[in-house]
Amino acid sequence: MAETYLITPNPHWHSPVSTKRLMLDVVIALCPAVIASILFYGWSELAILVVSVASCVLIEWAVTKFLLKKPSTIGDLSAVVTGILLGMNLPAGIPLWIVFIGALVAIGVAKMTFGGLGQNVFNPAITGRVFLLVSFPAQMTTWPEPHGFIPNVDAFSGATLLGQVRLIGADKADALVNLSTLFRNIGGSAGEVSALLLLVGWLYLCIRKVIKPWITLSIFATVAAIAAIFHGVNPEMYTGPLFNLLTGGIVLGACFMATDYVTSPINSWGGVLYGFGIGFIVMMIRYFGSYPEGMSFAILFMNMTVPLINMAFHQKVYGRK
Amino acid sequence: MGGVHPHDSKFAKDCATEVLPLPKTMYVSMAQHLGAPAKPVVAVGDSVRTGQLIAEPGGFISAAVHSPCSGKVKAVAPYADLSGRMVTHVVIDVEGDEWADGIDTSDTLITALPEDRQFILDRIKACGVVGLGGATFPTHVKLNPAPGSPKAEALLVNGSECEPFLTSDYRLMLERPKEILVGAAIMQKVLGGPKCFICIEDNKPEAIKVMDKALQELGFADMVVQPLKKKYPQGGEKQLVDAVMHRQVGSGALPISVGAVVQNITTSFAVYEAVQKNKPLVSNILTVTGDCLPADRHHNYWFRIGMPLSYVAEYAGGVPAEAGKIISGGPMMGKAVVNLDAATVKGSSAVLYLKRETTKRWQEGACIRCGRCADACPMGLEPLLLNRLYKAGDRLEELEKYAAQDCIECGCCLYSCPAGIPLLDNVRQAKQQVMGVIKARAAAAKNK
Repeated sequence: MAETYLITPNPHWHSPVSTKRLMLDVVIALCPAVIASILFYGWSELAILVVSVASCVLIEWAVTKFLLKKPSTIGDLSAVVTGILLGMNLPAGIPLWIVFIGALVAIGVAKMTFGGLGQNVFNPAITGRVFLLVSFPAQMTTWPEPHGFIPNVDAFSGATLLGQVRLIGADKADALVNLSTLFRNIGGSAGEVSALLLLVGWLYLCIRKVIKPWITLSIFATVAAIAAIFHGVNPEMYTGPLFNLLTGGIVLGACFMATDYVTSPINSWGGVLYGFGIGFIVMMIRYFGSYPEGMSFAILFMNMTVPLINMAFHQKVYGRK
Repeated sequence: MGGVHPHDSKFAKDCATEVLPLPKTMYVSMAQHLGAPAKPVVAVGDSVRTGQLIAEPGGFISAAVHSPCSGKVKAVAPYADLSGRMVTHVVIDVEGDEWADGIDTSDTLITALPEDRQFILDRIKACGVVGLGGATFPTHVKLNPAPGSPKAEALLVNGSECEPFLTSDYRLMLERPKEILVGAAIMQKVLGGPKCFICIEDNKPEAIKVMDKALQELGFADMVVQPLKKKYPQGGEKQLVDAVMHRQVGSGALPISVGAVVQNITTSFAVYEAVQKNKPLVSNILTVTGDCLPADRHHNYWFRIGMPLSYVAEYAGGVPAEAGKIISGGPMMGKAVVNLDAATVKGSSAVLYLKRETTKRWQEGACIRCGRCADACPMGLEPLLLNRLYKAGDRLEELEKYAAQDCIECGCCLYSCPAGIPLLDNVRQAKQQVMGVIKARAAAAKNK
C-alpha cells in the first residue's frame, strides 16, 4: 500500500460552494443593475466602476503583501464585490481620484484595519461612501441627469427627488413616484437607476440561497409601515410608502448592502430586528433629520449592533424547549 | 431542521450482491461492537466451525463473536484495526465452510414468530447481533429497555441509507425484503407491540415498492412502509424520530425516552437470521464503490467478518490508481483507512475510493459568518460559534450552554462551510471536553 493516501477525519466530501463562488454570485446578481447604470450614464460611469474595482483589489493586495505580509486574499472576490458596490453608490460623473479615496477608506480602513474579510464591523463600501459624503459633500451630491451612453456636454445636474421634497413639498414629490418608477431612472447614485433590476439580482441571490430574504423584507416592511402611518396622518408633510421605498438607495441598500454576511446578524430573527432598526433609523433621518437620504447612516449604525444581536438570537437546539 | 444534499452517487445500486469466497486466513476482531471487547473462548490449535462461538460478551454492553469459517485457530493476538489501533483478534486458518450444528443455513423463509420473549432475546444475544446502522450497539440491550423506561410506542426500522455511495441496505431491501419484515415483526413482539415504521428515503422508489409488496403478502398488522424526504442525515437516530414521530429526543437521552426504538434494516435481517435460523452474525453486505471507478467496477458483496479489507479490495479489482483516499463507510461519516490490512467487522458497510481532488481538505479561509453551518446542522447547533469558543480556550461553560455535547458528528458543518474551516474537528474536541465535565459532574452528584 502506497504512503500517499490521505488520512483525515470525516466528512470526506465538501459542498462545491466556496466563498469565491458566493462572491461570484453576488457579482452576477449585480450585473443587470451595473449594465443599466452604464447604459444610462455612459463612459464616465464605466470608468468609475473600473477604477473602483481596480482600486479595491489593488489596495487589498498591497495591504496583505506589504503591511500584513500574508498570502493574498484577493482571490476570494470579496474586494471585487466591495468595488462594484462602492462604484454603484457614487453619483455618476464624480472625479476618479475621489473614487480612489473611497476605495482606500473602504478596503484599507474599514476592512483591512480590522483584520480583513470576516473581521470588519462596518460594511466597507458604505464606510467608503459615507467618508466621501462627509469629506466631499459638493461632489457627492452633484447628480448628473442620465445622458445615455454618448457623453452629452449639455447635460445638467439635478437634485434627487428626495432632495426636492423640502423644496416642492411632500405631496408634489409623492405625485412624481408611482409603480412605473420601478422601470425607469429617478436619479441618485449611479447604481440605483433601476430598482427593478436590483430586485431581480436580489431574487437571484435568494433563489440560489446565497442570502435569506428576511433582512431585506424587514427593511421594506418597516419603511413602508412608518411611511404609511406618517403619510396617513399628514400627507402634506410626509411622503408616502412607495416614494420612500423607491428613492434614496433603499433598494440598493436593503438588497445588497444590509445583507452583507459579515456585518449582518447570523440568525434570521436577528436579521428581522436588524432590518427593522435600519428601516426605522432611515425614516427618522428622512422625516426629522437634516440629511435627505439616510440609508448609509442607518446601515452603519445597525452594523454596530450586530455583535449584540448575535449574542441575543440563537437557533433552537434539537430536543430543547 | 438542518441537513445537506450531497450528490447521491449510488453507483452500485443496480449491482446484485455477490458472495465473496473465503480467503486463506481470517482475522476476527474482538472489538466489533460498542462497549467492552469480547473475551476469546478458543485457544491456538482449536478446530472451529462456521458459526461456532469463539468469544463471549466481555460485559453488560458487549456482544458475542462467532467464527466466520471452519478451520484451525492460528493465533489469538493483537492486530491493528483500520485506524491502526491494536485490538485482540482471533486468527483462523481457513479449511472450509462447514457450519456448526443446529444452524439452519437454508434460504427457506420462516414466518411463524416464536411466542417466548425471553427466548427471542436470548437468541439475539447468543448470535452476537449488534446495530448495523453504524453504532454497533448490542441489539439485545437496546430491545430490552431498562425497567422504568417509557413504553415503546414506535419501532423505526431504518432503511433510509442517507450516506452517498452506500447501497448495502438498498440491496438487502430488494433481495431479502420478507426476512427484514419478519425480523421487524420479531422486534415488535419483544418490545410489546409498538407500531412499526419501515423508513425509506423517497429517492429509493424501487425499495419502497418491493417492501410494500412484501408487507402486503406477509399481512403483518401495525406495520407500514414510511417514505421519507431525501436528506442527509435523515437516517440519524434523532433525526429519524423527529421525521416520523414529530418528537425530539432530549440531550443525552435515548430514543426510548420519547417512546421510540430505532433499528437498522440490516439489523432487522440479522435478528431474523438469529431468531428464526439460529444463525450468528458472521456476514453482512459491503459496497465497493467510489468516484474513481469505471461503471463496471462497483460491487455489492456478502462478506464474512474477518476478511481483510485488502482482500476485498483485491477481489474487487484492486485499489484504483486515481484513489486519493480509501474510506471504510460513506463520505460523510466513514473513517479514512489507515491500515488496509485491517479486518472487516460486523458493521463494515463499504470500501470507498475517492479521488484526491474531491476528498482533500480545502485551504482554510476566513469565517464570513454566512451561517451556512448553522443552517446545515441537523441538531440546531451553531458550529461557527462553537468553533470560536473552542479556539478561544477555557470557555467550557458556554460550549455546554450552546450544546457542543449534542453534536452527532455528521459532518454537515464542515461539508457546507464555504471557507473550508475544519468546524467538525474543533467541535468534536469541544464536545469531548464538555462530555468530560458532564460526566465528572454526574459522578460527583452520585458520590454525595
